[in-house]
Amino acid sequence: MSGMPLLEVEDLHVTFRTASGPVHAVDGVSFTMKPGSSLGVVGESGSGKSVTARALLRLFAITDDVQISGAVHFDGQDLLRIDERRLRDVRGGQIGMIFQDPLTSLNPLMAVGEQIAESLRLHRGMSRSEAAAEAVELLARVGIADPEQRATELPSSFSGGMRQRVMISLAIACRPRMLIADEPTTALDVTVQAEILLLLDELRRSEGMALMLITHDFGVVAATCDDVQVMYAGKLVEKASMAHLFDRANHPYTEGLLRLVPRFEDAHTGRLHPIGGQPPITGGGGSSCAFAPRCSYAVDRCRSEVPPEVAVGPQHLSACWLATDRAKDTTEAGQPWRRAQ
Amino acid sequence: MSVLEVDDVVVEFDTDGGRITAVDGVSLHLATGETLGLVGESGCGKSTLARAIMQLVPMQRGSVRLEGIDLGSLSRRELRRMRHRIQMVFQDPRGSLDPRMNVSTLIGEPLRVHGIGDRASRAKAVAEAMELVGLPAAVADRLPSELSGGQQQRVGIARAIVTDPAVLVCDEPVSALDVSIQAQIINVLDELRDELSVAMLFIAHDLSVVRHLSDRVAVMYLGQIVETGTASEVFGEPRHPYTHGLISSVPRADAESAARLQTARRMVLGELPSLLDPPSGCRYRTRCPYATAQCAEAEPPPEPVGRAGGLHTVRCHHWRTIVSAAPEPQESATSQELAI
Repeated sequence: MSGMPLLEVEDLHVTFRTASGPVHAVDGVSFTMKPGSSLGVVGESGSGKSVTARALLRLFAITDDVQISGAVHFDGQDLLRIDERRLRDVRGGQIGMIFQDPLTSLNPLMAVGEQIAESLRLHRGMSRSEAAAEAVELLARVGIADPEQRATELPSSFSGGMRQRVMISLAIACRPRMLIADEPTTALDVTVQAEILLLLDELRRSEGMALMLITHDFGVVAATCDDVQVMYAGKLVEKASMAHLFDRANHPYTEGLLRLVPRFEDAHTGRLHPIGGQPPITGGGGSSCAFAPRCSYAVDRCRSEVPPEVAVGPQHLSACWLATDRAKDTTEAGQPWRRAQ
Repeated sequence: MSVLEVDDVVVEFDTDGGRITAVDGVSLHLATGETLGLVGESGCGKSTLARAIMQLVPMQRGSVRLEGIDLGSLSRRELRRMRHRIQMVFQDPRGSLDPRMNVSTLIGEPLRVHGIGDRASRAKAVAEAMELVGLPAAVADRLPSELSGGQQQRVGIARAIVTDPAVLVCDEPVSALDVSIQAQIINVLDELRDELSVAMLFIAHDLSVVRHLSDRVAVMYLGQIVETGTASEVFGEPRHPYTHGLISSVPRADAESAARLQTARRMVLGELPSLLDPPSGCRYRTRCPYATAQCAEAEPPPEPVGRAGGLHTVRCHHWRTIVSAAPEPQESATSQELAI
């Protein structure tokens, strides 16, 4: 069993029909996750990283005119094909979710303990008193002091960081096999972020949960994830282990993201290197490399053919026509994101 | 010479729960052309301090001197006449721009309000400001809604520099922007430092951005500056436990990332106390792993660290004995040697 993937996403496409035409938010994404593994998904706003996560559970607004195709195998079933009732069991049951803003996901009029207990009764068939006791237990597990008292309070009486802890306790209440965290710390102060990232990492290990963490920050991935995949215009452009990516980032977009932000460990090292231009607003679906217009390395082929995923190392894929050549160049000039101190 | 001198500023507010001291005796200074980064987490008072410096909120105590003139002593009219010398860049570029004005009108507005120059010289100043912030002349007639987020923030910065201020106060100028746009705006501010002799107070919660842009840094906690010095002193050899904690909390893209967060957790315990009931003595003691009885009894004064006359100061009773807790192993060894 241990070699079997927990999650297997095959050729996932998500297209929104909008007034100004179709948007290919996810454009042929395939990946797998093993039980208990950790995967960071990185990209700019609009890269399709959140839509990918939502598509796994078909979590879209009722007003979205959305088409999904492909397959999402999870625990022996295809989540894209099971009926709504069974999908509801998976959401919040086998797969837990947390988002950037916990306030929008919590009921503002209900004590947090009751909200957790409600989920326990629904998904784990607990009695009222069992669920109430377990809710207090869960609040303690995520590091909330005085959990008996706090369980009776409304979400509004919690600070931002504590609210995110409540969300996490709700997400793990049903002992999910996988947790999807979409920018879980973006709105938090840095010391609170540190606490939440450590908590997620500890829970993953203690619960044997797989963690899929969506972020724009490679530092956040480094702190919590073993593997990383980079998305651009609805496609996975690079996949690698996090340790490997630092040493051998291959795709020019990944290079761009790594060079974009000031690194704390560098004192002032001259100007930053913004990636010129903007991501295509229509997502993927073109007949060229979507990054070519912003890529300083682009050659003719990049503008006429979609690059395939190329293996550039162990468990390391890069969707770039120059991937093989770039993998050979391990000199400093070939890895400009590794700036000298 | 200091172009801005902030001395012992106190700002109090009435809230539903009672009176709070949001800024509690803050002093700082800025030399011409210098950038001071002000860091700290939500509720530490950094934005309130910025507003007090701008004379947008009343101060209970202390003074703000701009180019030697005490702003608190001025009449409203006199203050208005000084305003063009100190300008502000805000977090949300969209919310701070009048949606009905086009780009050139928006950038020229501060000149008209302050009655600076004639029509021709104002048009020239607007064109120069646009060029300095990297706005193409072609967008001069556009409305804010027709601009990208990055262009909107460039307009916000152009408005602030068009009056040729001596001091620019930037309150979280990049935190609302997407990462690739952030890099562009950081570069714009970086270029302005080089091109103009404007002094900058740069307020941000992102320590990497602050380190990148600042000559000196001040760390705020519960209304007070707990540590200040050059960026390399404060970030390279932090002395205050809170500064250690903040630095270790920054997730870096390397193999030590998780281990560093563990350090952060040891240095910053529990939750932020309420300003309604701040701790006695040292403000940080309720979260500090090194706190002793002394910390509850006496408020630590700012003490100079290192060589006499240096700018590195820290407010901690125990800074001499806790240097070994520096977040970087190699650095802690050197710090210890220095302390002995």
